[in-house]
Parts: sequence; structure tokens; C-alpha cells
Amino acid sequence: MEFAILFLCVLVAMAVSWRGSHRLALALFSMVLVASVATYLHHATDTLNLSF
Amino acid sequence: MNRSIGVTLNALGLYGIALVLVAAFAGQILLGELPCPLCLLQRVLFAMLAIGPILNIRFGPNPGHYALSLLAAVVGATVSARQILLHIMPRDPGYGSALLGYHYYTWAFIAFAAAIVLIAIVLLFDDRLPENKVARPIGLFASGAVWLVILYAPRMRL
Repeated sequence: MEFAILFLCVLVAMAVSWRGSHRLALALFSMVLVASVATYLHHATDTLNLSF
Repeated sequence: MNRSIGVTLNALGLYGIALVLVAAFAGQILLGELPCPLCLLQRVLFAMLAIGPILNIRFGPNPGHYALSLLAAVVGATVSARQILLHIMPRDPGYGSALLGYHYYTWAFIAFAAAIVLIAIVLLFDDRLPENKVARPIGLFASGAVWLVILYAPRMRL
């Protein structure tokens, strides 16, 4: 679910950078980048199943 | 580098990013490989890598737009490096099937690292960066920092 929201946010950021205002595009980019880092850190301590 | 060359290079970059995303999607659909959370995050960051070129094509090449792509590429390289390290143990087959000997996350790391290098090269030839070829008077704080490095760098024998 969180990844669906992230993909949706990136889609909106790309659409705004192509058609919308420059400032809004930068704001959305920053927001998605912070959200991506937060998602990464949130899962950083998950139990990892080794594949062998 | 003039604007039309910059726009062309950015368009080529977008085609490259689209190719990566299509390849990942094709692997998911045709080979039935479901992406792991880190793989999804890498795809998000590939898509974010595209925002800088989109802004460059629309508003004209700008160092600030390249900086956005650099930030996305650094985070993407971090995430893919993390996944490489998860499968670095001996006898670990890695996640998913390999393409030309490397897994998707390894290719992702190579692509993000290549993006960082390419953006740095493009910035090097960007005419919009001001050229300061005339030396200016320097304050004590800045010259002290320069001399400190010049004096101590040759002494770094390990």
C-alpha cells in the first residue's frame, strides 16, 4: 500500500513537472524523496530471510 | 553546451530510464517475478530520476534540475547497494533471475552510478555555470583551510 502511494506521488510529481508550476514540482519531488528515504529506513530493521 | 544539445541529452536520458522501467515491468509480467520492497523502491527512484530531465526539457537545462537527479540517483544507489549486500554471502543465489550475469538490483546500482557520472560530465560542460578564471582576494579563514590541506595531505602515509 505504501508503495502504491509512493508510485502515485511520483506520477503526480512527474505530471506537475511536465505541465504544472516549477515550484510545486520541486516541492513534490522533495516530499517524495523524503518519503522514499523514510520508507527505506522504516524497512531497514526488518527481519531478512536469506535466500539460501 | 547549448540548449538544444542539453535537451537532446536529457531526452536520451529519459529514453534510458523508460527502458529500465519497461525491462523491469516485462520481467515481472513475462517471467512472473514479483518485485521485493527494495526492488519497488528502486523503481520509484528510477522514476524520480526522470523528474530532473523532464524539468530540463520543459524549462531549459539548469544545474538545479541536475541536482534533483543526483539526489535521486544517490538514494537509488544506496538502496540497490543495500540489496546487493543482502545477497553477498557465499552460496546465496540472489533474488530473482539474473540478466547477463547480474541481478536487477546490481544493474540498478550500475545504472544509478552511471547516472551520477553522466550528470557530473554534463554539468562540467554546462555553459550556465559561471566561469571564475580571475583570482580574487581570499580571507584568512578560507586560505587557512587550503593551506591546512596542502600541508597535511602529503603526510597521510598509512
